[in-house]
Amino acid sequence: MFQLKPSLLDLIKSSFKSILKNKSRTILTSLGIIIGVTSVILLTSIGNGLKSYVTDQFDALGANSIYVSPGEMFTESGSFSQSSMTSMMMKSFTQKDYQLLERKFKKSNIMPVNSAYVDIKSNKATKKNIEINGSNEIYGKNNNLIPSKENGRWFTDEDGQVIVLGYNVAKDLFPNSNAVGKKVIVEGKNLKVIGVVDKKGASMGGPSLDDTIYAPLSVVSDLAGNENINMFVVKAENKDSIEATKKEITKIMLDQYDSDEFSVYDSSQLLSSINSIIGVLTVALTGIAAISLVVGGIGIMNIMLVSVTERTKEIGLRKAIGAYPRAILIQFLIEAIILSCLGGLIGVILGTLGTMVINSYFPAKITLSSVFLAFGVSSAVGIIFGVAPARKASKLSPIEALRYE
Amino acid sequence: MTKSLSKNKERKIILQLKNIYKTYQMGDSSFDALSGVCLDIKEGEFVSITGPSGSGKSTLMHIVGLLDNPTSGEVLLEGRDISKFNETKLAQIRNVTLGFVFQQFNLLAKTSSLENVLLPLLYSDIPKNQHQELALKMLEKVGLSNKLDNTPAQLSGGQQQRVAIARALINNPKIILADEPTGNLDSKSGAEVMKFFHKLNEEEGRTIVFVTHDMELAKQANRTIVIKDGKILGGTCSN
Repeated sequence: MFQLKPSLLDLIKSSFKSILKNKSRTILTSLGIIIGVTSVILLTSIGNGLKSYVTDQFDALGANSIYVSPGEMFTESGSFSQSSMTSMMMKSFTQKDYQLLERKFKKSNIMPVNSAYVDIKSNKATKKNIEINGSNEIYGKNNNLIPSKENGRWFTDEDGQVIVLGYNVAKDLFPNSNAVGKKVIVEGKNLKVIGVVDKKGASMGGPSLDDTIYAPLSVVSDLAGNENINMFVVKAENKDSIEATKKEITKIMLDQYDSDEFSVYDSSQLLSSINSIIGVLTVALTGIAAISLVVGGIGIMNIMLVSVTERTKEIGLRKAIGAYPRAILIQFLIEAIILSCLGGLIGVILGTLGTMVINSYFPAKITLSSVFLAFGVSSAVGIIFGVAPARKASKLSPIEALRYE
Repeated sequence: MTKSLSKNKERKIILQLKNIYKTYQMGDSSFDALSGVCLDIKEGEFVSITGPSGSGKSTLMHIVGLLDNPTSGEVLLEGRDISKFNETKLAQIRNVTLGFVFQQFNLLAKTSSLENVLLPLLYSDIPKNQHQELALKMLEKVGLSNKLDNTPAQLSGGQQQRVAIARALINNPKIILADEPTGNLDSKSGAEVMKFFHKLNEEEGRTIVFVTHDMELAKQANRTIVIKDGKILGGTCSN
């Protein structure tokens, strides 16, 4: 092994010189890598933004809440069970389960939920297929649904035939007046509006909370014609008692059902499942974006091969005046790496700017790891796809190369 | 630096070719571009190699220039047999021992005269802090001190060839090899280039080997080697 005669610095300098002799080609060649790196960064940013957005949403939903639903919600590995959606609709709990849970926990810590879809009418308008959630007094507080003062109040456990409207429902049914105190007809039943929930804005996925209405459990049971309960929400005393509370609930429920007929979970489990779905989606989409990195690499290889042919005479000359094969190899390899790193760098800048722009419409959050990953992959692509042209250049015979026209 | 030696003193052999064969395989038939060439080049000589096209003079030039290996025979550079050296070692030897001047000049396009002249130093052991100074000196020697930043496209053919000569000289080579150096020049520029070679040979004692198909030009050398059908006319191998 002898010392690298043109030092690495000299080689980088001379590579830069030859790349800069062909500016527009350089930009076009790097375009594939630029697009690849930009899209990898954008997609991971969106994935990450989505994750933290979901986390924030869950934090806004009551902390320390434990959910009890029918059917098997999670698989053993913690992801959502395939059957969860159907089983949630097919099965439900009974009033007896409610009484059993009430016996164990304070009434003020248990929220039974019964949901149905109903038509609602005012003297002005009708809204069809609105989700109604029946529950109790503390449900409102636990889910941050308590109306602000001027919009009435949430129902208590003593209230009878009353209803609380979501913001949009109230606006649609009573466009020009305050809904509080007015009468509405739900599935033929007269109910008095006692509150309107403040505007919550869009929620991800399901229907907006602003399009939902709420009533005491007994009212919803009446409307639905059954006493079913779709879900229980149990509030643990504090964060540390979540696990113990879950165990107690499970014990009570096991007396009534088989272990695969119900699920007891808290929001952190739900959150981690949703996050793992987002994670898988992000990886999949990023993988697709990464294909364009490979395509970009092929573009670089193509141009480098053209460049080797074009510069056959130069290579021959360099060899004649003392360039040994490895010096030529390294020179062309460095040119390929500079092309891809340059593309990577521009991609990082565009990805960062793009993330900032997207962030004003949609949650997006750039991560350092995605920047390093995208840049690292683009440099690796440069090395991998630069090797073949560089080897070709280094193997050219000086005579053939000098004779080349 | 090779010193000018007195003419009557016995000159040292710098490059020796012994019974060189170069055979090209073309399908089933083979063809000898060189068949049994013996040649000594002595220090300070001005030698021309000439012959009709297809005679093998280019092949001989490539072997003298260490750009190609003979099929058989020995090439001794200052007594060392170089036929066993690998590409890397050969490149190093070319870098320090030989200076090339080509018919097509072979300057790097879009690159200044100064950078073109600096090119061989990229692959040499000469300390970096001397590079600039050396290149300036060489360009001055060929009379192009005022064209340092000009690219080949901004120079006349004669000027381009002078840049190429400056590039060939920068490593202080033992032998200057010129392949049809005047072939792409008008007669005036060609004459200037030849004059410059004579000057290098007489004043600095440089060994110069040049290839030309032009008999008249070849006669300007101290010794003319005529090659025909892969053999040197009138030449024999002593062993």
